[in-house]
Amino acid sequence: MNIRDPESMNEIIGNVLRYGVIASAAVVLFGTLLLASSNGASDTSGILTYHPDQVPHGNYDVSLQGLINGLAGFSAYSWIELGVIFLIATPVSRVVISVFLFAAEKDRLYVVVTAVVLTLLLFSMLVTPFIPLFHA
Amino acid sequence: MLVFEFVILIFVVSIFAGIFGSIVGLGGGVVVIPVLTILLGVDIHFAIGASIVAIIGTSSGAASTYVKDKVTNLRVGMFLELASASGAIVGAAIAAYTNSPILELVFGVILLITVIPTLTRIGEDIPKSPELKGLAKRLGLKGAYTETDGRLIEYNATRPVSGLAGTAVAGVLSGLLGIGGGGFKVISMDLAMKLPMKVSTTTSNFMIGVTAASSAGIYFARGDVNPLIVAPVALGILIGAAIGARILLRSRNPTVRKAFAIVLAVAALQMILSATGVIS
Repeated sequence: MNIRDPESMNEIIGNVLRYGVIASAAVVLFGTLLLASSNGASDTSGILTYHPDQVPHGNYDVSLQGLINGLAGFSAYSWIELGVIFLIATPVSRVVISVFLFAAEKDRLYVVVTAVVLTLLLFSMLVTPFIPLFHA
Repeated sequence: MLVFEFVILIFVVSIFAGIFGSIVGLGGGVVVIPVLTILLGVDIHFAIGASIVAIIGTSSGAASTYVKDKVTNLRVGMFLELASASGAIVGAAIAAYTNSPILELVFGVILLITVIPTLTRIGEDIPKSPELKGLAKRLGLKGAYTETDGRLIEYNATRPVSGLAGTAVAGVLSGLLGIGGGGFKVISMDLAMKLPMKVSTTTSNFMIGVTAASSAGIYFARGDVNPLIVAPVALGILIGAAIGARILLRSRNPTVRKAFAIVLAVAALQMILSATGVIS
């Protein structure tokens, strides 16, 4: 596969998406099996209760530290969260790879287009949650 | 309901959501949201969090096949993402200040109206391809794919600025409500840019993952992404999207257009009902 060949761009982007999806599914499946073995026969009402007055709105930890501890302790929810993070990261890595693929094709216009998209994407994912303008 | 019953039920529903979502380019959220809220009484916030995961899953799961098969137009997708990504940021900012039911109602009605031009062209196979000129030419917005009967369909895009404007609306809607962007994306490519229907739905499918990912961070941090719900959603959706992608590649454009019109009407009604408080 030659990276400068425009034909291979579809192949590479297709593979990035495919491997991202497979990695995510494997981790979510592992978490789901942990969930089934630990809580399979318990009632859903506890975990499905929405708490509007607290953040996070559910009965689970969404902090980075909580996630790391949960993964080490084989907590079902933490492993599912990790799988979901892989899933969210998949389209983002597709945009990152595209910048380099257009650069390899020497298509400067689309290097700019894709880089702007990536900047907007990272801004809304990572920056807007911390800007007061975006909170009611 | 017991955890394992809930997981199995949502898993099965999500397979169907993935199949439909990947064919029509709207993602699986349209199916997942009403099942969770109306049928199972899950809070709408958790349902939207699950919808975000469903959309990303449908998008990435099906796109790997569509992109390799060259039905998706990568340049059209990347170009329009400029508008959807900017729109999503604007939508997220508006969401903090405005009364979303009124906006949801407005968008729902607009979406319902756009079903009409889709219906009037319901049997159309391949639109007459316009001449490639101006901005569309400079951006290289053209492509070719192989139809089910072996014909190589070569096409050009027209009116890129109108396409960009329609996609910006799609982005605002996604940022505002977390849902609903896919319909406007397909319509922008189908009506304004005159792309073949399968190119429009698969390119929308390709883009919706990025649009949904842009608002995923804020939903995740709020705790709206509930692990119990999203685990079976993610697994079912990915299987469904793989099946749906194979179905689309064997379907003709008029069939895809019919499926799109139905799902679009359902999505529009859902927004109207939700805005008027029938679904909460």
